[in-house]
Amino acid sequence: MKNPFLTRLAGWLALLGLGSCLAAAALFFLGRIAESAYKRAFLIGSIVWFVLAAGRKMASGRDAPRNG
Amino acid sequence: MSERFSRLAAAMDRLYEFDREPVTPDKLQSGAKFAGLFAGEHVAATEFVIGAFFVLHGVGARDLLWGLLIGNLLAVLSWTFICAPIAVRTRLTLYWYLRKIAGPGVTFLCNIANAFLYCVLAGAMISVSATAAGLLVGIPVPKLGTVLPSSLGWVLICLVLGAAFTTVAILGFAKLSRFAEIASPWIFVVFIAGALAMLPRLGVRPDLGNIWEVATTKIWNGVAAAGQEKFGFWHVLFFAWFCNLAMHVGLSDMAIFRYARKWTYGFFSAFGMYPGHMLAWIASGVMVAAVGREMHPGLMASEAVGIAGIAGVLLAGWTTANPTLYRAGLALQTITPGWPRWKITLLAGAATTVLACFPVFFLKLLDYVAIYGLVLMPIGAIVFAEHWIFPLLGLEQYRAEKEGWTFNGAALAVWLGTLAVAFVLPLHLYFRWLPCWFVAVLAYTGLMAVRRPR
Repeated sequence: MKNPFLTRLAGWLALLGLGSCLAAAALFFLGRIAESAYKRAFLIGSIVWFVLAAGRKMASGRDAPRNG
Repeated sequence: MSERFSRLAAAMDRLYEFDREPVTPDKLQSGAKFAGLFAGEHVAATEFVIGAFFVLHGVGARDLLWGLLIGNLLAVLSWTFICAPIAVRTRLTLYWYLRKIAGPGVTFLCNIANAFLYCVLAGAMISVSATAAGLLVGIPVPKLGTVLPSSLGWVLICLVLGAAFTTVAILGFAKLSRFAEIASPWIFVVFIAGALAMLPRLGVRPDLGNIWEVATTKIWNGVAAAGQEKFGFWHVLFFAWFCNLAMHVGLSDMAIFRYARKWTYGFFSAFGMYPGHMLAWIASGVMVAAVGREMHPGLMASEAVGIAGIAGVLLAGWTTANPTLYRAGLALQTITPGWPRWKITLLAGAATTVLACFPVFFLKLLDYVAIYGLVLMPIGAIVFAEHWIFPLLGLEQYRAEKEGWTFNGAALAVWLGTLAVAFVLPLHLYFRWLPCWFVAVLAYTGLMAVRRPR
């Protein structure tokens, strides 16, 4: 994923995956979806987050300040 | 003896050589980096235990909220007004600054103490992960108050996890650190989503109309679990404040703040404290109340989020035990000069794994965190005194470095003496560090004033 557009897209989609985890919990709390659907949606959103965020991270290779 | 310490100190210096020089202006980092770093570092496996313990210790809802708000604010202020200004002025790690002040011998002892404390902390994280892994294979979690390994199954699961964590730490610390940066926002979502999903089980209506009533009667209802000490506002406030005592007042985080453009970057620690040490603790309190007040992080997360919750506890333990193991290894490497990196990490991992088998370390995590901060706090007080107070009083700074002392006897005496005072002080463990910090500052200043060169 060297293409900056793809890197950015992966970042936004990863955030969407993370947001869907929270949205699923909110919908379950509001009684709009069943517990099994909530947990399945959370799992899928989590996988999306990890796959895309990891791909984006590998492509960008940025580092934070180091704790020694 | 002194010669041996000098040799050890020289070996130790070689290990830390990479950060010997002050950080140069081109290496300084933006505030956003600090916000991200703090946000990532303070959502760990231990958050599952700490927030839950506040419920089991019978903290009231109002006491919890005010205690966390003010305690975390004090922690942020400690980073901002104590740690960050010294780091920004010196641009050094605590290791190198302490070496100038207390000499290589005291720095060596500090490193060893740190290594042992890191091993215990990593062991507690492995234990927390073991509660999740054990759930998958039906191994019961030790009950509250258990000290020794409770079953063969528990020992086996801790050994397997400890071996796995250690292997990964040996094979790829850097890669896992990068993975941890990805995992931490997700782990935070596990906390928030988990708590939200557990609210209906506690009887909270979708319009949130009765949330305060549920919070005060079913979660933080002020009733301590059997065998648990009752906590109030001050316990919560002090805990939130000293939870990272070694990092702010103890000055370990000079290692990161030396990269800050301004000392005011200390305020960015709020990005770690309020999501991690407030929201995540509140969330784990909700989760433990919803599973019948059973101290079982794996069960809490599994009930709240399903299989992803189990993965969350495992990952939280793994990603936070890994840098802890690395730091323990780095500190231990000073006593085994010449050993390769993998061998020392293996030693630290083996020690950590054995400690993880003893459930006392995660079931008494709150007390352990207090002791951890207390042991390293006097070092921060000594550095604070030398950095700020000595110039005010006209006392000469950095005499250990200038006069080539292996041990600054005053620093060592103050460190050990402060711990002795803390041991006998008739106060709750959580409150002892604060008067002891003043004792350490005054005692060190006094002793060094007496040792003033004629």
